[in-house]
Amino acid sequence: MTDLGERTGSAPPGTTTGRSFEDFAVGERWTAGPRAVTADDLAAFTRLSGDDHPLHAGPDAILQGPFGVAIAMGLLQGLGIHGDAVLGLLDTHWAYRRPVRVGDVLFLDVTIVRCRRTSRGDRGVVTRHLRLRDDGGETVQEGTTSALIAARTTGGDPPGRAFGTVPWAEALVARLDHGFTEDLATWDGTVALRSGDDEVALRIYRGRVLETVARTPRGATFVLGADPLTWLELVESADNPFMRLAMAGRFTVTGDGYEYLRLTGALHRLADAAREIA
Amino acid sequence: MRADYLTLRGSLAFVEQHGDDTAPPVLCLHTAGQSGVQWRHVAPALAARGYRVVVPDLPGHGRSEPAPGGPVQDLGEYAAWCLELIRTLGLRAPAVVGCSIGGKIALDVAARASDELSRVVAMAADAHTGGRPSAKGLRRELSDVAAPARTDRTHLGTLAVLGRSVPPARAELIATMHRREDPTVSTSDLLGWTAHDLRESLPRITCPAHLVVGDDDLWLDVDRVRWAAERIPGARCTVLAGVGHYPMEEIEGFDAVLDGWLAELTSVPAAS
Repeated sequence: MTDLGERTGSAPPGTTTGRSFEDFAVGERWTAGPRAVTADDLAAFTRLSGDDHPLHAGPDAILQGPFGVAIAMGLLQGLGIHGDAVLGLLDTHWAYRRPVRVGDVLFLDVTIVRCRRTSRGDRGVVTRHLRLRDDGGETVQEGTTSALIAARTTGGDPPGRAFGTVPWAEALVARLDHGFTEDLATWDGTVALRSGDDEVALRIYRGRVLETVARTPRGATFVLGADPLTWLELVESADNPFMRLAMAGRFTVTGDGYEYLRLTGALHRLADAAREIA
Repeated sequence: MRADYLTLRGSLAFVEQHGDDTAPPVLCLHTAGQSGVQWRHVAPALAARGYRVVVPDLPGHGRSEPAPGGPVQDLGEYAAWCLELIRTLGLRAPAVVGCSIGGKIALDVAARASDELSRVVAMAADAHTGGRPSAKGLRRELSDVAAPARTDRTHLGTLAVLGRSVPPARAELIATMHRREDPTVSTSDLLGWTAHDLRESLPRITCPAHLVVGDDDLWLDVDRVRWAAERIPGARCTVLAGVGHYPMEEIEGFDAVLDGWLAELTSVPAAS
Protein backbone atom coordinates (compact mmCIF):
# COMPACT_ATOMS: atom_id res chain seq x y z
CA MET A 1 0.00 0.00 0.00
CA THR A 2 2.97 2.32 0.32
CA ASP A 3 2.73 3.31 -3.32
CA LEU A 4 -0.56 5.03 -2.48
CA GLY A 5 1.19 7.38 -0.13
CA GLU A 6 2.68 9.76 -2.62
CA ARG A 7 -0.13 11.27 -4.65
CA THR A 8 -3.75 10.27 -5.20
CA GLY A 9 -6.95 11.56 -6.76
CA SER A 10 -8.06 11.61 -10.34
CA ALA A 11 -6.74 14.95 -11.51
CA PRO A 12 -5.99 15.19 -15.16
CA PRO A 13 -2.29 16.04 -14.90
CA GLY A 14 -1.33 19.60 -15.65
CA THR A 15 -4.81 20.85 -16.52
CA THR A 16 -7.32 23.14 -14.91
CA THR A 17 -10.97 23.30 -15.80
CA GLY A 18 -11.40 26.94 -14.99
CA ARG A 19 -14.83 26.25 -13.49
CA SER A 20 -16.53 29.56 -12.72
CA PHE A 21 -18.96 30.29 -9.90
CA GLU A 22 -21.91 29.44 -12.18
CA ASP A 23 -20.49 25.99 -12.89
CA PHE A 24 -21.01 24.83 -9.30
CA ALA A 25 -24.36 23.52 -8.13
CA VAL A 26 -25.54 22.56 -4.66
CA GLY A 27 -25.63 18.78 -4.48
CA GLU A 28 -22.67 18.09 -6.79
CA ARG A 29 -20.45 15.35 -5.38
CA TRP A 30 -17.02 13.86 -5.94
CA THR A 31 -14.91 11.23 -4.23
CA ALA A 32 -11.10 11.24 -4.07
CA GLY A 33 -8.60 8.76 -2.74
CA PRO A 34 -7.41 6.35 -1.52
CA ARG A 35 -4.69 8.16 0.38
CA ALA A 36 -2.54 5.93 2.60
CA VAL A 37 -1.05 7.53 5.72
CA THR A 38 2.67 6.75 6.04
CA ALA A 39 5.37 7.03 8.69
CA ASP A 40 6.93 9.72 6.48
CA ASP A 41 3.69 11.72 6.72
CA LEU A 42 3.91 11.66 10.50
CA ALA A 43 7.57 12.66 10.55
CA ALA A 44 7.12 15.41 7.96
CA PHE A 45 4.01 16.87 9.57
CA THR A 46 5.61 16.85 13.02
CA ARG A 47 8.65 18.67 11.60
CA LEU A 48 6.51 21.18 9.68
CA SER A 49 4.05 21.99 12.46
CA GLY A 50 6.43 21.71 15.39
CA ASP A 51 3.70 19.88 17.30
CA ASP A 52 5.69 17.11 18.99
CA HIS A 53 3.21 16.29 21.78
CA PRO A 54 3.77 12.69 22.98
CA LEU A 55 0.47 11.68 21.33
CA HIS A 56 2.25 12.09 17.98
CA ALA A 57 5.12 9.71 18.75
CA GLY A 58 5.62 6.03 19.37
CA PRO A 59 4.12 2.91 17.84
CA ASP A 60 0.50 4.04 18.43
CA ALA A 61 1.07 7.64 17.33
CA ILE A 62 -1.92 9.72 16.31
CA LEU A 63 -1.33 12.22 13.54
CA GLN A 64 -1.92 15.89 14.32
CA GLY A 65 -5.54 16.83 13.61
CA PRO A 66 -4.72 19.42 10.93
CA PHE A 67 -2.91 16.73 8.99
CA GLY A 68 -6.39 15.58 8.00
CA VAL A 69 -7.35 19.07 6.83
CA ALA A 70 -4.12 19.27 4.86
CA ILE A 71 -4.59 16.02 2.98
CA ALA A 72 -8.30 16.77 2.49
CA MET A 73 -7.26 19.97 0.70
CA GLY A 74 -4.75 18.00 -1.35
CA LEU A 75 -7.31 15.37 -2.33
CA LEU A 76 -9.77 18.16 -3.20
CA GLN A 77 -7.20 19.87 -5.42
CA GLY A 78 -6.42 16.51 -7.03
CA LEU A 79 -9.99 16.29 -8.30
CA GLY A 80 -9.26 19.08 -10.77
CA ILE A 81 -12.55 20.90 -10.17
CA HIS A 82 -10.88 24.11 -9.05
CA GLY A 83 -8.91 26.02 -11.62
CA ASP A 84 -8.04 29.56 -12.56
CA ALA A 85 -11.30 31.07 -11.30
CA VAL A 86 -10.48 30.48 -7.63
CA LEU A 87 -9.68 33.83 -6.01
CA GLY A 88 -9.03 32.60 -2.47
CA LEU A 89 -9.97 30.39 0.44
CA LEU A 90 -12.32 32.08 2.93
CA ASP A 91 -12.86 29.73 5.86
CA THR A 92 -12.68 26.20 7.23
CA HIS A 93 -15.00 24.78 9.89
CA TRP A 94 -13.79 21.42 11.00
CA ALA A 95 -14.49 18.55 13.40
CA TYR A 96 -12.22 15.67 14.34
CA ARG A 97 -14.22 12.46 14.78
CA ARG A 98 -11.63 9.68 14.94
CA PRO A 99 -7.85 9.51 15.28
CA VAL A 100 -5.68 9.12 12.17
CA ARG A 101 -2.74 6.70 12.43
CA VAL A 102 0.05 5.51 10.17
CA GLY A 103 -1.32 2.78 7.92
CA ASP A 104 -4.83 4.24 7.67
CA VAL A 105 -6.26 4.55 4.17
CA LEU A 106 -8.43 7.61 3.69
CA PHE A 107 -10.95 8.81 1.12
CA LEU A 108 -12.50 12.23 0.64
CA ASP A 109 -16.18 12.83 -0.16
CA VAL A 110 -16.85 16.32 -1.49
CA THR A 111 -20.32 17.84 -1.64
CA ILE A 112 -21.17 21.35 -2.77
CA VAL A 113 -23.57 22.65 -0.11
CA ARG A 114 -23.84 26.38 -0.77
CA CYS A 115 -23.31 28.73 -3.73
CA ARG A 116 -23.87 32.41 -3.03
CA ARG A 117 -23.03 35.31 -5.33
CA THR A 118 -21.51 38.31 -3.57
CA SER A 119 -23.18 41.73 -3.69
CA ARG A 120 -20.61 42.85 -6.26
CA GLY A 121 -22.06 40.23 -8.56
CA ASP A 122 -18.89 39.24 -10.39
CA ARG A 123 -17.85 36.53 -7.95
CA GLY A 124 -19.40 34.09 -5.53
CA VAL A 125 -18.75 31.97 -2.48
CA VAL A 126 -18.83 28.20 -2.98
CA THR A 127 -18.96 26.10 0.19
CA ARG A 128 -17.73 22.53 0.00
CA HIS A 129 -18.59 19.92 2.63
CA LEU A 130 -15.56 17.65 3.00
CA ARG A 131 -15.82 14.26 4.66
CA LEU A 132 -12.64 12.32 5.24
CA ARG A 133 -13.47 8.65 5.81
CA ASP A 134 -11.55 5.46 6.33
CA ASP A 135 -11.78 2.39 4.12
CA GLY A 136 -14.50 1.02 6.44
CA GLY A 137 -16.70 4.02 5.65
CA GLU A 138 -16.37 5.62 9.10
CA THR A 139 -16.08 9.41 9.17
CA VAL A 140 -12.64 10.42 10.42
CA GLN A 141 -12.83 14.18 10.00
CA GLU A 142 -15.37 16.47 8.37
CA GLY A 143 -16.28 20.06 7.88
CA THR A 144 -16.92 22.80 5.41
CA THR A 145 -14.61 25.17 3.63
CA SER A 146 -15.54 28.09 1.39
CA ALA A 147 -13.76 29.49 -1.62
CA LEU A 148 -14.25 32.77 -3.44
CA ILE A 149 -14.66 32.04 -7.14
CA ALA A 150 -14.91 34.39 -10.12
CA ALA A 151 -18.21 34.50 -12.01
CA ARG A 152 -18.80 34.83 -15.77
CA THR A 153 -22.17 36.55 -15.43
CA THR A 154 -23.72 38.91 -12.89
CA GLY A 155 -26.86 37.09 -11.78
CA GLY A 156 -29.73 34.77 -12.54
CA ASP A 157 -28.72 32.11 -10.02
CA PRO A 158 -31.33 29.36 -9.44
CA PRO A 159 -33.09 29.79 -6.04
CA GLY A 160 -34.24 26.16 -5.57
CA ARG A 161 -31.32 25.13 -3.36
CA ALA A 162 -30.36 28.52 -1.94
CA PHE A 163 -31.64 27.38 1.48
CA GLY A 164 -32.30 30.12 4.01
CA THR A 165 -32.42 32.98 1.49
CA VAL A 166 -35.28 35.27 0.53
CA PRO A 167 -35.39 34.12 -3.14
CA TRP A 168 -35.55 30.50 -1.93
CA ALA A 169 -38.34 31.32 0.54
CA GLU A 170 -40.28 33.15 -2.18
CA ALA A 171 -40.07 30.10 -4.44
CA LEU A 172 -41.09 27.93 -1.48
CA VAL A 173 -44.14 30.04 -0.66
CA ALA A 174 -45.23 30.01 -4.31
CA ARG A 175 -45.30 26.21 -4.13
CA LEU A 176 -47.27 25.85 -0.86
CA ASP A 177 -50.59 24.11 -1.24
CA HIS A 178 -54.06 24.71 0.13
CA GLY A 179 -53.35 22.28 3.00
CA PHE A 180 -50.73 24.65 4.37
CA THR A 181 -53.27 27.50 4.37
CA GLU A 182 -55.79 25.28 6.16
CA ASP A 183 -53.25 24.06 8.74
CA LEU A 184 -52.44 27.64 9.66
CA ALA A 185 -55.94 29.12 9.35
CA THR A 186 -55.89 30.19 13.01
CA TRP A 187 -52.20 30.98 13.28
CA ASP A 188 -50.46 34.32 13.66
CA GLY A 189 -46.69 34.25 13.87
CA THR A 190 -43.35 34.01 12.13
CA VAL A 191 -41.52 30.86 11.09
CA ALA A 192 -37.83 31.32 10.40
CA LEU A 193 -35.89 28.74 8.41
CA ARG A 194 -32.13 28.54 8.89
CA SER A 195 -29.49 26.73 6.89
CA GLY A 196 -26.07 27.18 8.47
CA ASP A 197 -25.81 30.95 8.97
CA ASP A 198 -28.49 31.79 6.39
CA GLU A 199 -31.90 32.58 7.82
CA VAL A 200 -35.16 33.72 6.31
CA ALA A 201 -38.46 34.52 8.00
CA LEU A 202 -42.00 33.78 6.81
CA ARG A 203 -44.47 36.21 8.37
CA ILE A 204 -47.73 34.25 8.53
CA TYR A 205 -51.22 35.47 9.38
CA ARG A 206 -54.30 33.21 9.16
CA GLY A 207 -52.70 30.87 6.66
CA ARG A 208 -51.36 33.60 4.39
CA VAL A 209 -47.65 34.33 4.12
CA LEU A 210 -47.60 38.14 4.34
CA GLU A 211 -43.89 38.54 3.77
CA THR A 212 -40.68 36.59 3.23
CA VAL A 213 -37.86 38.63 4.65
CA ALA A 214 -34.47 38.32 6.35
CA ARG A 215 -36.02 39.28 9.70
CA THR A 216 -39.30 40.57 11.11
CA PRO A 217 -39.60 43.44 13.61
CA ARG A 218 -40.58 41.23 16.56
CA GLY A 219 -38.46 38.25 15.61
CA ALA A 220 -39.53 34.72 14.78
CA THR A 221 -41.96 32.63 16.83
CA PHE A 222 -39.45 29.86 16.33
CA VAL A 223 -36.45 29.14 14.12
CA LEU A 224 -36.12 25.75 12.46
CA GLY A 225 -32.52 25.15 11.53
CA ALA A 226 -30.07 22.61 10.19
CA ASP A 227 -26.72 22.57 8.49
CA PRO A 228 -26.74 22.87 4.68
CA LEU A 229 -25.92 19.17 4.25
CA THR A 230 -29.09 18.25 6.16
CA TRP A 231 -31.19 20.57 3.98
CA LEU A 232 -29.64 18.87 0.97
CA GLU A 233 -30.60 15.46 2.36
CA LEU A 234 -34.11 16.78 2.99
CA VAL A 235 -34.60 17.70 -0.67
CA GLU A 236 -32.74 14.75 -2.20
CA SER A 237 -34.16 11.78 -0.23
CA ALA A 238 -36.60 9.46 -1.98
CA ASP A 239 -39.38 10.29 0.54
CA ASN A 240 -39.89 13.40 2.63
CA PRO A 241 -37.53 12.66 5.57
CA PHE A 242 -38.42 15.74 7.65
CA MET A 243 -39.77 13.85 10.69
CA ARG A 244 -36.93 11.34 10.62
CA LEU A 245 -34.35 14.14 10.54
CA ALA A 246 -36.18 16.07 13.27
CA MET A 247 -36.47 12.97 15.49
CA ALA A 248 -32.77 12.29 14.98
CA GLY A 249 -31.94 15.83 16.12
CA ARG A 250 -30.61 16.89 12.72
CA PHE A 251 -33.14 19.74 12.60
CA THR A 252 -33.17 21.85 15.72
CA VAL A 253 -35.54 24.50 16.99
CA THR A 254 -35.01 27.66 18.98
CA GLY A 255 -37.83 29.85 20.23
CA ASP A 256 -41.35 28.69 21.04
CA GLY A 257 -41.16 24.89 21.10
CA TYR A 258 -44.89 24.43 21.60
CA GLU A 259 -45.73 26.44 18.49
CA TYR A 260 -43.15 24.38 16.62
CA LEU A 261 -44.85 21.16 17.70
CA ARG A 262 -48.23 22.64 16.84
CA LEU A 263 -47.01 23.28 13.30
CA THR A 264 -45.72 19.73 12.75
CA GLY A 265 -48.06 19.09 9.82
CA ALA A 266 -47.45 22.52 8.27
CA LEU A 267 -43.68 22.11 8.49
CA HIS A 268 -43.94 18.72 6.80
CA ARG A 269 -45.78 20.48 3.96
CA LEU A 270 -43.07 23.15 3.87
CA ALA A 271 -40.53 20.35 3.47
CA ASP A 272 -42.63 18.94 0.60
CA ALA A 273 -42.53 22.34 -1.08
CA ALA A 274 -38.76 22.63 -0.53
CA ARG A 275 -38.35 19.25 -2.22
CA GLU A 276 -40.48 20.32 -5.18
CA ILE A 277 -38.53 23.49 -5.91
CA ALA A 278 -35.13 21.82 -5.45
CA MET B 1 -61.48 -16.52 15.35
CA ARG B 2 -63.12 -16.21 18.71
CA ALA B 3 -63.07 -13.22 20.99
CA ASP B 4 -63.74 -13.02 24.71
CA TYR B 5 -63.93 -10.46 27.42
CA LEU B 6 -62.07 -11.97 30.37
CA THR B 7 -61.80 -10.46 33.82
CA LEU B 8 -58.10 -10.02 34.52
CA ARG B 9 -56.69 -8.12 37.47
CA GLY B 10 -59.87 -6.21 38.04
CA SER B 11 -60.94 -5.14 34.56
CA LEU B 12 -62.32 -6.64 31.38
CA ALA B 13 -59.71 -7.71 28.86
CA PHE B 14 -60.46 -8.21 25.18
CA VAL B 15 -58.69 -11.33 23.89
CA GLU B 16 -58.75 -12.78 20.36
CA GLN B 17 -57.92 -16.40 19.71
CA HIS B 18 -57.24 -18.05 16.38
CA GLY B 19 -56.70 -21.72 15.57
CA ASP B 20 -57.08 -25.00 17.38
CA ASP B 21 -57.13 -24.98 21.20
CA THR B 22 -54.79 -27.96 21.24
CA ALA B 23 -52.18 -26.41 18.95
CA PRO B 24 -48.97 -24.89 20.40
CA PRO B 25 -49.96 -21.50 21.78
CA VAL B 26 -48.40 -18.18 20.76
CA LEU B 27 -49.15 -15.02 22.70
CA CYS B 28 -48.77 -11.88 20.54
CA LEU B 29 -48.26 -8.50 22.21
CA HIS B 30 -48.83 -5.11 20.60
CA THR B 31 -46.85 -1.86 20.81
CA ALA B 32 -47.30 1.31 22.89
CA GLY B 33 -50.75 2.86 22.64
CA GLN B 34 -51.87 0.39 19.99
CA SER B 35 -53.93 -2.82 20.14
CA GLY B 36 -54.12 -6.39 18.93
CA VAL B 37 -55.31 -5.06 15.57
CA GLN B 38 -51.59 -4.80 14.69
CA TRP B 39 -51.63 -8.62 14.43
CA ARG B 40 -54.80 -8.81 12.26
CA HIS B 41 -53.01 -10.21 9.19
CA VAL B 42 -50.49 -12.33 11.05
CA ALA B 43 -52.79 -14.01 13.59
CA PRO B 44 -55.10 -15.99 11.26
CA ALA B 45 -52.23 -16.85 8.91
CA LEU B 46 -50.09 -18.06 11.79
CA ALA B 47 -53.01 -20.12 13.12
CA ALA B 48 -53.30 -21.75 9.70
CA ARG B 49 -49.69 -22.84 10.14
CA GLY B 50 -50.66 -24.86 13.19
CA TYR B 51 -50.62 -22.54 16.19
CA ARG B 52 -53.16 -21.38 18.74
CA VAL B 53 -52.67 -17.62 18.42
CA VAL B 54 -53.75 -15.46 21.35
CA VAL B 55 -53.88 -11.70 20.83
CA PRO B 56 -54.90 -9.56 23.79
CA ASP B 57 -55.47 -5.82 23.98
CA LEU B 58 -53.42 -4.68 26.97
CA PRO B 59 -55.36 -2.79 29.68
CA GLY B 60 -56.52 0.62 28.44
CA HIS B 61 -55.86 -0.32 24.80
CA GLY B 62 -58.21 -1.26 21.97
CA ARG B 63 -61.34 -2.91 23.38
CA SER B 64 -59.95 -3.66 26.85
CA GLU B 65 -61.08 -1.62 29.84
CA PRO B 66 -58.56 0.63 31.55
CA ALA B 67 -56.55 -0.84 34.40
CA PRO B 68 -58.27 -0.10 37.74
CA GLY B 69 -55.33 2.07 38.80
CA GLY B 70 -55.39 4.19 35.62
CA PRO B 71 -52.94 4.22 32.71
CA VAL B 72 -50.09 1.79 33.35
CA GLN B 73 -46.60 3.31 33.61
CA ASP B 74 -44.79 0.15 34.70
CA LEU B 75 -44.18 -2.52 32.04
CA GLY B 76 -43.79 -5.01 34.91
CA GLU B 77 -47.53 -4.62 35.55
CA TYR B 78 -48.21 -5.64 31.96
CA ALA B 79 -45.88 -8.63 32.35
CA ALA B 80 -47.76 -9.79 35.46
CA TRP B 81 -51.03 -9.26 33.56
CA CYS B 82 -49.78 -11.41 30.65
CA LEU B 83 -48.77 -14.19 33.04
CA GLU B 84 -52.24 -14.11 34.54
CA LEU B 85 -53.72 -14.31 31.03
CA ILE B 86 -51.53 -17.34 30.25
CA ARG B 87 -52.68 -19.05 33.44
CA THR B 88 -56.35 -18.06 33.01
CA LEU B 89 -56.46 -19.51 29.51
CA GLY B 90 -54.45 -22.53 30.63
CA LEU B 91 -51.90 -22.01 27.84
CA ARG B 92 -49.26 -24.69 28.17
CA ALA B 93 -45.71 -23.67 27.32
CA PRO B 94 -46.72 -20.76 25.10
CA ALA B 95 -44.34 -18.80 22.93
CA VAL B 96 -44.49 -15.08 23.75
CA VAL B 97 -43.93 -12.67 20.87
CA GLY B 98 -44.02 -8.91 21.22
CA CYS B 99 -42.93 -5.71 19.56
CA SER B 100 -41.61 -2.48 21.12
CA ILE B 101 -43.14 -2.31 24.62
CA GLY B 102 -44.66 -5.70 23.74
CA GLY B 103 -41.15 -7.02 23.09
CA LYS B 104 -39.89 -5.69 26.37
CA ILE B 105 -42.94 -7.11 28.16
CA ALA B 106 -42.24 -10.47 26.48
CA LEU B 107 -38.67 -10.39 27.83
CA ASP B 108 -39.98 -9.50 31.28
CA VAL B 109 -42.49 -12.39 31.18
CA ALA B 110 -39.61 -14.70 30.20
CA ALA B 111 -37.44 -13.35 33.04
CA ARG B 112 -40.26 -14.00 35.52
CA ALA B 113 -41.40 -17.40 34.29
CA SER B 114 -39.13 -18.98 31.68
CA ASP B 115 -40.12 -22.43 32.94
CA GLU B 116 -43.71 -21.76 31.88
CA LEU B 117 -42.78 -20.67 28.33
CA SER B 118 -41.52 -22.55 25.30
CA ARG B 119 -39.70 -19.53 23.80
CA VAL B 120 -39.74 -15.78 23.47
CA VAL B 121 -39.37 -13.48 20.45
CA ALA B 122 -38.77 -9.83 21.33
CA MET B 123 -38.88 -7.41 18.40
CA ALA B 124 -37.80 -3.75 18.53
CA ALA B 125 -36.89 -4.01 22.19
CA ASP B 126 -33.73 -3.68 24.25
CA ALA B 127 -33.09 -4.14 27.97
CA HIS B 128 -32.81 -0.47 28.84
CA THR B 129 -33.33 2.61 26.70
CA GLY B 130 -30.74 4.70 28.51
CA GLY B 131 -33.35 7.39 29.14
CA ARG B 132 -34.57 7.96 25.60
CA PRO B 133 -37.17 9.35 25.17
CA SER B 134 -36.89 11.59 28.21
CA ALA B 135 -39.29 10.85 31.05
CA LYS B 136 -39.48 14.57 31.81
CA GLY B 137 -40.71 15.37 28.31
CA LEU B 138 -43.17 12.46 28.39
CA ARG B 139 -44.62 13.57 31.72
CA ARG B 140 -45.22 17.00 30.24
CA GLU B 141 -46.99 15.32 27.29
CA LEU B 142 -49.46 13.74 29.74
CA SER B 143 -51.03 17.17 29.95
CA ASP B 144 -53.17 17.77 26.87
CA VAL B 145 -52.35 21.46 26.70
CA ALA B 146 -48.66 20.56 26.40
CA ALA B 147 -49.16 18.08 23.56
CA PRO B 148 -49.97 20.08 20.43
CA ALA B 149 -50.50 18.41 17.05
CA ARG B 150 -50.53 15.02 18.76
CA THR B 151 -52.30 13.33 15.84
CA ASP B 152 -49.94 14.72 13.22
CA ARG B 153 -46.95 13.72 15.30
CA THR B 154 -48.23 10.17 15.74
CA HIS B 155 -48.99 9.90 12.03
CA LEU B 156 -45.76 11.43 10.70
CA GLY B 157 -43.71 9.96 13.54
CA THR B 158 -44.93 6.47 12.66
CA LEU B 159 -44.02 7.01 9.00
CA ALA B 160 -40.56 8.15 10.13
CA VAL B 161 -39.81 4.88 11.94
CA LEU B 162 -41.04 2.52 9.21
CA GLY B 163 -38.44 0.71 7.10
CA ARG B 164 -37.30 1.63 3.60
CA SER B 165 -38.75 -1.60 2.26
CA VAL B 166 -42.37 -0.77 3.17
CA PRO B 167 -44.41 0.29 0.10
CA PRO B 168 -45.98 3.79 0.49
CA ALA B 169 -49.59 2.58 0.59
CA ARG B 170 -48.84 0.05 3.32
CA ALA B 171 -46.88 2.67 5.29
CA GLU B 172 -49.78 5.10 5.05
CA LEU B 173 -52.22 2.45 6.29
CA ILE B 174 -50.00 1.60 9.27
CA ALA B 175 -49.57 5.28 10.21
CA THR B 176 -53.30 5.95 9.82
CA MET B 177 -54.19 2.96 12.03
CA HIS B 178 -51.69 4.11 14.65
CA ARG B 179 -53.60 7.36 15.13
CA ARG B 180 -56.27 5.31 16.94
CA GLU B 181 -54.68 5.80 20.31
CA ASP B 182 -55.49 7.33 23.66
CA PRO B 183 -52.56 9.76 24.08
CA THR B 184 -52.64 9.36 27.87
CA VAL B 185 -52.29 5.59 27.53
CA SER B 186 -49.62 5.82 24.81
CA THR B 187 -47.57 8.31 26.77
CA SER B 188 -47.88 6.20 29.94
CA ASP B 189 -46.68 3.19 27.94
CA LEU B 190 -43.67 5.19 26.79
CA LEU B 191 -42.94 6.26 30.37
CA GLY B 192 -42.90 2.54 31.17
CA TRP B 193 -40.71 1.85 28.15
CA THR B 194 -38.13 4.47 29.05
CA ALA B 195 -37.98 3.51 32.76
CA HIS B 196 -38.12 -0.27 32.60
CA ASP B 197 -34.68 -1.75 33.17
CA LEU B 198 -34.22 -5.46 32.42
CA ARG B 199 -30.42 -5.47 32.35
CA GLU B 200 -30.10 -7.48 35.55
CA SER B 201 -32.99 -9.78 34.63
CA LEU B 202 -31.69 -10.98 31.27
CA PRO B 203 -29.60 -13.92 32.60
CA ARG B 204 -32.77 -15.31 34.20
CA ILE B 205 -34.29 -15.89 30.76
CA THR B 206 -33.69 -19.61 30.29
CA CYS B 207 -36.21 -20.43 27.57
CA PRO B 208 -34.95 -20.09 23.97
CA ALA B 209 -34.97 -16.42 23.01
CA HIS B 210 -34.68 -14.42 19.81
CA LEU B 211 -34.20 -10.65 19.70
CA VAL B 212 -35.06 -8.94 16.43
CA VAL B 213 -34.47 -5.35 15.34
CA GLY B 214 -34.92 -3.54 12.04
CA ASP B 215 -31.96 -1.51 10.81
CA ASP B 216 -34.28 1.40 9.92
CA ASP B 217 -35.73 1.56 13.44
CA LEU B 218 -34.97 5.09 14.66
CA TRP B 219 -36.09 4.17 18.19
CA LEU B 220 -33.61 1.36 18.69
CA ASP B 221 -29.86 1.16 18.68
CA VAL B 222 -28.84 -2.15 17.12
CA ASP B 223 -25.82 -2.38 19.44
CA ARG B 224 -28.03 -2.16 22.53
CA VAL B 225 -30.21 -4.98 21.20
CA ARG B 226 -27.11 -7.10 20.50
CA TRP B 227 -25.86 -6.31 24.01
CA ALA B 228 -29.16 -7.55 25.48
CA ALA B 229 -29.09 -10.73 23.38
CA GLU B 230 -25.56 -11.49 24.53
CA ARG B 231 -26.72 -11.51 28.13
CA ILE B 232 -29.48 -14.05 27.57
CA PRO B 233 -28.06 -17.58 27.59
CA GLY B 234 -28.10 -18.94 24.03
CA ALA B 235 -30.21 -16.10 22.62
CA ARG B 236 -30.25 -15.30 18.92
CA CYS B 237 -30.19 -11.81 17.48
CA THR B 238 -31.38 -10.84 14.01
CA VAL B 239 -31.07 -7.46 12.30
CA LEU B 240 -33.68 -7.02 9.57
CA ALA B 241 -32.56 -4.92 6.60
CA GLY B 242 -34.98 -2.25 5.44
CA VAL B 243 -37.35 -2.83 8.35
CA GLY B 244 -38.32 -0.30 11.00
CA HIS B 245 -40.06 -0.40 14.36
CA TYR B 246 -43.07 -2.57 13.43
CA PRO B 247 -41.92 -5.80 11.70
CA MET B 248 -45.28 -7.61 12.03
CA GLU B 249 -47.04 -4.75 10.25
CA GLU B 250 -44.28 -3.90 7.79
CA ILE B 251 -43.29 -7.31 6.45
CA GLU B 252 -45.60 -8.91 3.90
CA GLY B 253 -46.17 -12.55 4.88
CA PHE B 254 -44.75 -12.04 8.36
CA ASP B 255 -46.52 -15.22 9.57
CA ALA B 256 -44.02 -17.30 7.58
CA VAL B 257 -41.10 -15.36 9.03
CA LEU B 258 -42.36 -15.77 12.58
CA ASP B 259 -43.15 -19.44 11.99
CA GLY B 260 -39.53 -19.90 10.90
CA TRP B 261 -38.18 -18.19 14.01
CA LEU B 262 -40.46 -20.22 16.29
CA ALA B 263 -39.39 -23.47 14.60
CA GLU B 264 -35.70 -22.54 14.99
CA LEU B 265 -36.19 -21.84 18.67
CA THR B 266 -37.88 -25.20 19.15
CA SER B 267 -34.85 -26.95 17.76
CA VAL B 268 -32.56 -25.12 20.18
CA PRO B 269 -32.41 -26.73 23.61
CA ALA B 270 -33.05 -24.33 26.45
CA ALA B 271 -29.90 -23.28 28.24
CA SER B 272 -29.56 -24.97 31.59
